[in-house]
Amino acid sequence: MRKYLDYSWIGIKEHTAYAGAVRANFVSKIVYLYMQFAMWTALFASNAGKDVPMSRDGTLRYVIVATILSAFVECDVIGRINQQIRTGDIANRLIRPMDFRAMVFFRQLGTSAAGLVLYALPLTILIALLYREPLVCSEQLPYGILSVLLAYLIQFLYSLIIGLMAFWLIVTWPLNMLLAAIYKLLSGAWIPAAMFPDLLAKINLFLPFRAIYAIPVSIITTPMSQDSIRSELGVQLLWAVILFGIAELTWHAGRKKLIVQGG
Amino acid sequence: MSINADNLTKIYRLKKKQAKTAVDHVSFTIPDGEITGFIGPNGAGKSTTIKMMTGILIPDSGSVSIDGLSFKKNRKQIMMKTGVVFGQKSVLCWDIPVLDTLKLFRDMYRVPEAVYKENMELFSEILGLDEFIGQPPRLLSLGQRMKADLAAALLYNPDILFLDEPTIGIDVLSKERIRNFIERINRERHTTIILTTHDVSDIEKLCKRMIIIDKGSIIYDGTLGELKENYGTTDLEEIIKQIYLAGEQEAAESRADQLCRGA
Repeated sequence: MRKYLDYSWIGIKEHTAYAGAVRANFVSKIVYLYMQFAMWTALFASNAGKDVPMSRDGTLRYVIVATILSAFVECDVIGRINQQIRTGDIANRLIRPMDFRAMVFFRQLGTSAAGLVLYALPLTILIALLYREPLVCSEQLPYGILSVLLAYLIQFLYSLIIGLMAFWLIVTWPLNMLLAAIYKLLSGAWIPAAMFPDLLAKINLFLPFRAIYAIPVSIITTPMSQDSIRSELGVQLLWAVILFGIAELTWHAGRKKLIVQGG
Repeated sequence: MSINADNLTKIYRLKKKQAKTAVDHVSFTIPDGEITGFIGPNGAGKSTTIKMMTGILIPDSGSVSIDGLSFKKNRKQIMMKTGVVFGQKSVLCWDIPVLDTLKLFRDMYRVPEAVYKENMELFSEILGLDEFIGQPPRLLSLGQRMKADLAAALLYNPDILFLDEPTIGIDVLSKERIRNFIERINRERHTTIILTTHDVSDIEKLCKRMIIIDKGSIIYDGTLGELKENYGTTDLEEIIKQIYLAGEQEAAESRADQLCRGA
């Protein structure tokens, strides 16, 4: 077990190695949150809430919670795996008596722990001071936390799969650029998924993205029936299982494909 | 532990149905406790062979067995007993102190506290590890980094040590210390060592036996003494130059031959 914790510890240390980067990161999150806040307030003020399926307060709650979550759910697993495959550094990981995927996961867990303490927590305190409305449905919070954990797993598995595509493509950033846009939109990280037009919402039902932000954030911020909470958690569980299967397949097929780059 | 390579073949598939046979039916045995030099010109297939011997690459045909163990069945068992240093690829985490990486290895390879302490003392005494153990690799010189990499690979007392160009870019004095260290490890711990290098003096100092590989095939497998006797000189650099040159000429002739036949 200690080797896994070591990896998490390394993840924390690496993320905090440059104090300037941490500060800049934090400031960027505040600016982003302010932008979201200003944009939605202005939109609701000009439109008076006509034809919008969500209230102003509901929307603000959503974007605030989504932004806080993103401070530790988002990860750079895709980029990291990619670089290791492209430079051949992966060779040094494959000679260890430890699973490569476990190494990546626990290192990421460390980075997320750093994100939680350095960004998510201070942001929450800041918001608690400035935004006096109630943010979460407290009776649904335990389900919300469970949902966030599932979302974290889904996010990781999705990133692992795209990152491992480098076994075939060597460079996956163009694919990643395309997917990043789709991901940001469909996951509900920018705009609450409930506001999507019908067609998009239907397409989204068959994709894993909404399981990352839309589901957990809705459970945390919007009053829901027990039945719909359960079915949403079921959807997340299903996606976690499906993505786990795909990640396994990608890993085993990719290992055979591997060419260690650069001498 | 002894290593047995049997008919190893690796073919790299390039674009448009082109293929390059990097290693072509290579067989050899490396007995327990021996230091074997593994040399060949750039692009000869050395690194590919090493990567198959360390289980990083899966051979297209043939097999590697280590004390009768195979990567297919006993992967983890082999990994626990194998140390690898790639001169051009560091295992150290770039932004965090060397000590943290060493602690990770201690836990990953389940090194008992007494062995860990003893080794750390040895590394400090011979490699001067204590002088830079608290610094991250980004602040180290190449020589220091290589010493730290060696320490990481030997921390868990592996039975087999692969050294892929461990003295590349290192100054003469540091080189001398690294060589002495390798020699001592081999003498005291009876570690089987496979060394690839372009530095002839590494071989003179360390190896009794040499395997020369060119264009994916073994062209010499025997002792250093025999080789010198065959060529009637003690100048190893000259001998190796002659061997490489003969290989180049042969390749040029066979190309010319093919061209003639084609015309």
